[in-house]
Amino acid sequence: MSIRVLNPNAEVLNKSAALHMTINAAKGLQDVLKSNLGPKGTIKMLVGGAGDIKLTKDGNTLLKEMQIQNPTAIMIARTAVAQDDSSGDGTTSTVLFIGELMKQSERCIDEGTHPRFLVDGFEIAKRATLEFLEKFKTPVVIGDTPDKEILKMVARTTLRTKLYEVLADQLTDIIVNAVLCIRKPEEAIDLFMVEIMHMRHKFDVDTRLVEGLVLDHGSRHPDMKRRAENCYILTCNVSLEYDKSEINAGFFYSNAEQREKMVAAERRQVDQRVMKIIELKEKVCSGTDKNFVVINQKGIDPPSLDLLARAGIIALRRAKRRNMERLVLACGGEAVNSVDDLTEDCLGWAGLVYEHVLGEEKYTFVEQVKNPLSCTILIKGPNDHTIAQIKDAVRDGLRSVKNTIEDEAVVLGAGAFEVAARKHLLDNVKRTAKGRAQLGVEAFADALLVIPKTLAENSGLDTQDVIVSLQNEHDQGTVAGLNHHTGDPIDPQMEGIFDNYSVKRQIINSGPVIASQLLLVDEVIRAGRNMRKPA
Amino acid sequence: MREIVTIQVGDFANFIGSHFWNFQDELLGLAEDDGADPIFKNNFMDMDVLYRTGLTHQGAYTYCPRLISIGSQGSLGTLSSSGSLYGDSSSSDATDTLTWKGAVTKLAENPREKNLFLKSLSEEGEDDPNIEDKDRVQCLERDIKFWSDFSKVHFHSKSLYELNGAWTDFQNFDNFGDGKEVLLGGLHMEELNDRLRFFVEECDHVQGIQCTVDDSGGFSAVASEFLENIADDYTNIPVLLYSVRDTFSYTDATKQRKLITRSLHDAVSLSKLSTYSSLIVPVGLPSLGGLAPSLCVRDEKNFHSSAVYASAIHSISAPFRFKPAGPISNTTYAAGSLDIGEIIHILAGQNRQNMVAILDVSMPAPSLSDKANPGGILNSFHALGTEIGDDSEDLYMDESLILNGALFSGADWASVSQVKDSICNVYDKGLRAKPRPSHLSISLTPLPIPLPFPSIFPTTTGRRGEILADQPLEGPPKGSLEVESVPVMTRLRSSISIKPFIECRYNNLLRHGMLRGAKGAGLLRDWGFGKDEVDDMGEHLSKMLRIFNPSSEMTSDSD
Repeated sequence: MSIRVLNPNAEVLNKSAALHMTINAAKGLQDVLKSNLGPKGTIKMLVGGAGDIKLTKDGNTLLKEMQIQNPTAIMIARTAVAQDDSSGDGTTSTVLFIGELMKQSERCIDEGTHPRFLVDGFEIAKRATLEFLEKFKTPVVIGDTPDKEILKMVARTTLRTKLYEVLADQLTDIIVNAVLCIRKPEEAIDLFMVEIMHMRHKFDVDTRLVEGLVLDHGSRHPDMKRRAENCYILTCNVSLEYDKSEINAGFFYSNAEQREKMVAAERRQVDQRVMKIIELKEKVCSGTDKNFVVINQKGIDPPSLDLLARAGIIALRRAKRRNMERLVLACGGEAVNSVDDLTEDCLGWAGLVYEHVLGEEKYTFVEQVKNPLSCTILIKGPNDHTIAQIKDAVRDGLRSVKNTIEDEAVVLGAGAFEVAARKHLLDNVKRTAKGRAQLGVEAFADALLVIPKTLAENSGLDTQDVIVSLQNEHDQGTVAGLNHHTGDPIDPQMEGIFDNYSVKRQIINSGPVIASQLLLVDEVIRAGRNMRKPA
Repeated sequence: MREIVTIQVGDFANFIGSHFWNFQDELLGLAEDDGADPIFKNNFMDMDVLYRTGLTHQGAYTYCPRLISIGSQGSLGTLSSSGSLYGDSSSSDATDTLTWKGAVTKLAENPREKNLFLKSLSEEGEDDPNIEDKDRVQCLERDIKFWSDFSKVHFHSKSLYELNGAWTDFQNFDNFGDGKEVLLGGLHMEELNDRLRFFVEECDHVQGIQCTVDDSGGFSAVASEFLENIADDYTNIPVLLYSVRDTFSYTDATKQRKLITRSLHDAVSLSKLSTYSSLIVPVGLPSLGGLAPSLCVRDEKNFHSSAVYASAIHSISAPFRFKPAGPISNTTYAAGSLDIGEIIHILAGQNRQNMVAILDVSMPAPSLSDKANPGGILNSFHALGTEIGDDSEDLYMDESLILNGALFSGADWASVSQVKDSICNVYDKGLRAKPRPSHLSISLTPLPIPLPFPSIFPTTTGRRGEILADQPLEGPPKGSLEVESVPVMTRLRSSISIKPFIECRYNNLLRHGMLRGAKGAGLLRDWGFGKDEVDDMGEHLSKMLRIFNPSSEMTSDSD
């Protein structure tokens, strides 16, 4: 072979060997992730060589942790992870679907079908399935006040696949309320406006929604109040520390006195800035029971803290950049970059500001704000890996609610869509395909069943029984999904099991594309090239 | 107090860091130890500059480096990424899972075994009378795989960050593009910024950031992105950056493609890192054989070479933490206090705005009264970087000199005034053209040699690093059991000698990446650089070169 001439070290696999290699890789990956799927899947605990623990039920996280070597598996995994990046869920489903497409194809190929026909069939089936999805989806009217119940059902469906029921249900309300809180009419939802904060707490597993903000730092002066009510909030990005670099030009002082003078002059400038803040505080607070809180993105040095403390002001330094935006959304007012021309209009408002200390960690709660457009989900857990897992679940939940609002539609879950789509493909689409492409359509249709099948398998049910009874229901014209407790058909609508429309759409879109590419590989050449990189 | 935040990025940077923190730990230990030499009492050095005091949830006080260390996943060896002090109640018992009531599959790697040295720290092997320190030192010489294998320091739970990228092969993590890729789509930067904020927020007045980056591969991109964030968030905090390389990164590339990749990486790396730092010091030799006969370093051991570089970096950081004693800081133990901003100003802010400095070291430094060396001890320096030209004619050179625990004669430590006199003597006698504002810092505390320090001293080295006359020249190298401390002298200089270093990178970028039909242009695109960005990098490097050209004000373009 010519490649041998070019590179004697190259290893070449011929057509059928290449195909089997890819198919096996796809099946292997499927096997690894299979047990993850659904509310009855297994959670995986990964323990590193130094005892570090990671807990995950998320296909995405698992794929990233696995350090995959096989080039085919990498290709599939990349697609699946890209799926997660764009829509927040569906990694496991994508891997299962691709694996199943390859499995179904293998059967046909072994019987002598050329992969080309399968690929053509996939394309027809894919288009038909997407059209079918448009008809099958359940539209959701969002409007100004979205139907909270349906959002909750979507969030719950996602969360119950990541966390056990009680915990998932507790988080459902929190997540829906958080997204609705930050939602602005006519604007895309920016999930970054939901801060996710965690605290390590000995025994507690608890999550709550704070309407307002939780900052992970506190004031740095012993005399500042730890709790204050009725607070004006000044959000600013102004250096309140004496900054030598600004007088670098006068670096070599001829004597100590000169140096002292320079320092004093520079100090005075900082003090003036502090005084302006204090002036505003006096103006808006004096004679009332109101308090004043400064939250600064830049530093505040001890002399400035002293001045502020003496004036009864609570001051926090080095706030997170993103919190500047969140603070303004939560409390109102504006973030100022200079203390000149400060007015009352610049100030935000919070009914309660208090500090919570845990060891060396300090948290400042800014609560009871008026019209919050930013909020915080506070997660408590006994150890890092539990917190991390809840955090991942919260992120997925938030995405699912956001998707629903943006899709203005949901899809019936529990395998109902897959069974219905298969029926549609076999009854109506298959015969429209020419010749052997029909085999491709059929393979595609059968591959769809991997979702209900795996759900049943993970629940310890008999796969064939379940599929047969589901198909019977659909043949009679009822849309049914799988009850993972009993194995009986259920109406997902009644049970409130909904999946994201955009997630489903993407799985159907990307699955066959990758499977087709893999099927059309007729030679694998290993020539020492780094296969981990996309070309 | 003027705090320093330390950042280490990449495996070799962490090797150096591991030695660096071992020195600090040793100093802290000696200061507490009544049996130690009074020179280590150290009341003029403020360790709080580098360390922070913390409190665990259980109410125990901690004292940890103010550090962020970034490494690849799995590079921590037996160390847990959350450190050992803030132990959470994690148990790897699968039945303890609180978030899932269904089935749990446990996938556990084999626990890594600790070596004899680490065992003695965790008191597992303490009771075994058959194991002596000699065995521990030998085991370190034999087998070091991870930087944590020889670390005796406790780190804060937010200090150690493992970078994991699903598609990244850290064995071949050798260019800028790889580093950019690993950051894509992840929350790495978000997390790193948060961790840095944690350390900076509690500081009253940060004097600067001291950053060590293994810039031979993808970590250079990680560091430059991190530094870019830092430059945005903390506008006025100066960054002193050591770009370090191990000897392996100089292995000759045989394939042309590899060669181009590497030279473009070097150019991009220098351009990017220098954009986001205030002073950059390239450290790393292809071979440390040149340091003989004062040291015998095995090039193939990162454990060895990193120890030398760490000693130099430690020496330079000494004056950053002298306690202020009035406007002109002069105590009987130290002189010439300096902060990071000031040293950067001396080197990069005056005559020439050259921000690439050369690090020279002399270790163990010869004694001041060494008659055999009339040129003075200043001739004993070895540069720790490559591609360094000659600067004997350079009139605009700036330098800063730091001596730690210099010996006067034999094993006697010199006093501050003795050191000052000797150094001035060298200049006065015209033995060396004095660069204009040169700065001298003196600390009487020598470099302490902790147990996990490699055996790299020749047989003629005494307990205090002095040269013993009556010793045979042959024999196994001495290590931490025979040598307690050594005098170290370092110098940072900003001079025309660095021109070839910058020039080479600029020319490579031009030749392989910018000219029409350049072979590496596609590579730069793959790394995610648009044409404009490549042009900017070229312009940046050419600007760094132009300052060495006296007539540069006249011509706008110096190629």
